[in-house]
Amino acid sequence: MKYIYVYPEKCTGCRECSIACSLAKFGECNPKKAAITIVRDEFNRYEFPIICYQCEDPVCLKFCHQNAYKIKDGVVIRDEDKCIGCRLCATLCPYNAVTTIDDEIIKCDLCDGDPKCVKYCSTGAIQYLDETEELEKRRKKMAERFLEIKN
Amino acid sequence: MFNGKLGVIDLSKNKVTIKQTSESLKKKFFGGRGLNSYYLYKLIKPGIDSFSPENVLIFGTGFLTGTLVPNSSRFNVSAKSPETGILGDSNCGGYFAAELRYAGFERLIIKGKAKNPSYIYVNDNKIEIKDANDYWGIDTTDVQQFLRKDLGQVEVACCGLAGENLVRFACVRTGVKNAAGRCGLGAVMGSKNLKAIAVRGTQGIKIKYPEEMLETVEHLKDYIMNSKITSILGSVGTPLLYEVSNTLGAIRTKNSQLNAWSVTLNAEEIEKFVEKMIGCSSCIVHCRHRNMLGGEGPEYTALGLLGANLGIKDPAKVIELNNVCNELGLDISSSGTILSWVFELYEKGVIDKKITEEELHFGDFELAKRLLYKISRREGFGNILAESTKNVARFGEKSKNYLIAVKGLPQSDPHDCRYIKAFALGIATSSRGADHLRSRPTLEIFLKLPKEVKEKIYGEGIPNDPTSYIAKEKTVYFSDNIFAVIDSLGICKFICHGFNSPHFVDYTWMKKLIHCASGWTVNEKDLENVGKRIIDIERMFNNREGVSRKDDSLPKRYFDDPMPLNLSKGHHIDRKEFDKLLTRYYKIRGWTNDGLVKKERVKELEALA
Repeated sequence: MKYIYVYPEKCTGCRECSIACSLAKFGECNPKKAAITIVRDEFNRYEFPIICYQCEDPVCLKFCHQNAYKIKDGVVIRDEDKCIGCRLCATLCPYNAVTTIDDEIIKCDLCDGDPKCVKYCSTGAIQYLDETEELEKRRKKMAERFLEIKN
Repeated sequence: MFNGKLGVIDLSKNKVTIKQTSESLKKKFFGGRGLNSYYLYKLIKPGIDSFSPENVLIFGTGFLTGTLVPNSSRFNVSAKSPETGILGDSNCGGYFAAELRYAGFERLIIKGKAKNPSYIYVNDNKIEIKDANDYWGIDTTDVQQFLRKDLGQVEVACCGLAGENLVRFACVRTGVKNAAGRCGLGAVMGSKNLKAIAVRGTQGIKIKYPEEMLETVEHLKDYIMNSKITSILGSVGTPLLYEVSNTLGAIRTKNSQLNAWSVTLNAEEIEKFVEKMIGCSSCIVHCRHRNMLGGEGPEYTALGLLGANLGIKDPAKVIELNNVCNELGLDISSSGTILSWVFELYEKGVIDKKITEEELHFGDFELAKRLLYKISRREGFGNILAESTKNVARFGEKSKNYLIAVKGLPQSDPHDCRYIKAFALGIATSSRGADHLRSRPTLEIFLKLPKEVKEKIYGEGIPNDPTSYIAKEKTVYFSDNIFAVIDSLGICKFICHGFNSPHFVDYTWMKKLIHCASGWTVNEKDLENVGKRIIDIERMFNNREGVSRKDDSLPKRYFDDPMPLNLSKGHHIDRKEFDKLLTRYYKIRGWTNDGLVKKERVKELEALA
């Protein structure tokens, strides 16, 4: 299964990801109306992408009184017709990954397997990866670093 | 639709009016620098004092600013310059301009003078003039942090102590180091009792054809990312140019007494101080260094002008001076040029301790740092230095011989323009004085670029030799026009055709991007005409202030002193050849032989509404 992975150390703060998301979903360029948000503070020196991790046991789904959420092929999807806009999911999400603005509730749906945020990122700070391959890659890297230190 | 608002703020009357720029005017100038220059010409009466309430200060976002278009972060700040007395205009990146668009505004025109220290708060379609007593006297980073504490996640453009104290080369700052640096526009803020503009917006920019924009930008992004220059700029930033210029022997050193300096300021040395490379809004190049000494930078300009030009070799010290300028809100280009000028004047005995209060010499970091603080507070000798090039009147006519400035604006480019003739013509004719970002055909520096490539961009008959005067009017003419257009679209010059690369965003790309954003159909010729119109209206502003052929000149040293070191040894600018080049430039511009915009053209542009 492929998921979105974020690497804050590679994020430059430019927000092309958010702008692409808002353009694809709403036809406008607006980093605040997107499923991905870059929290950035150049004075305190950080850039940090926030996006839904598609939890296996998602709080948004569990607590939705209207049963507006469902999991389809590993992706947590909100049914707009069932949703009453109470914003409880946004309040409860442990990662603050559900955006609410202008009466819209915006949650990442992985763009049907072609996430725009990934496509428009210029540094690889947001990647769409197979979870097994990604884990193997990171474990291998860790092992190599471990051997390097040992030597 | 592209229907952002125009906010007109009269600080004297404490009044805000919200208007709209007509679509017909936008089609003639687009936005950013273009519309700013139009409004300056329209709203400023000739001959006024730049520090008087009659001066008009404009913050204008580019036509495409804040969109998905790569590197569309930019805005222009414009007013009559207190440093030069002619057109003052400066282009800036960061996050302020995009936020202004998201707050519903394309442009703010600020008139008059507030009774007390004030700031402007723009929040989703609303503009308020607010009391800034608590923010006055505070450095640029702190004031931005305090405003965020008080107002939430705002983006701020502000002046520092230098602006408050009317230092003629004070900049407008946003973020850690982004600056509308040139022409003393921070001092215009100070003269209006305006400390800052804080903006916050949640509205999007509606795009006419979203799918088409997604597709066009995807292709453009691949095209730009695949270029070698993009990855170099993204990893080391502008310092890469230091070594290029230095090897050639074209780094302004010790007020251009020398033309080469230490390898300790090469990009690989600067890289050691970089914590992370970051970007402006929508940027895919990310050339900004977050340095380990608490700030951002240095850019090539800081390395050259606060390093080589002051005789300083230690990169850590150059970075510290860079950070000090940013905190105080001083323009780095003018600071480095003015300091090196007085250092040489002191060495040559043109000025003495009666004026300077202490001994001046090159290579003294502590002295340079002390003087920067004194300038920002207008203390002692700093009060004199704060007058920038106007000091020719105080120091005497002889001092002018050593001043590296054109039309009263100290040269921004650390590049010594005696070798590459197109660079020399560029700084001589630029609408704001000695500045490289108006028309520098950077490609001239790449000596191995095939003749065909240059001819394809600039037109026929361009020799591959940068020291030749032949046809160089064409390279400057082309660059002047296209840079004016990119400045009006709000896109960074780093991805502009002909700035750093023979490829990138040309008129054809611009045409596509404009179409998907607004639905407007324009062709390449229309776009070139926008550039020509901007250059002409800026020239009209300057003509009205008395600028003519006599002012399109160069520092005396560029004519009379051959360069002493490296490849460029022996080169200088030949007065006769330069004069002929200038005549040819006026001719393709359609100006009179005295460098004036012709009457019929003036009439045509004045009639635009």
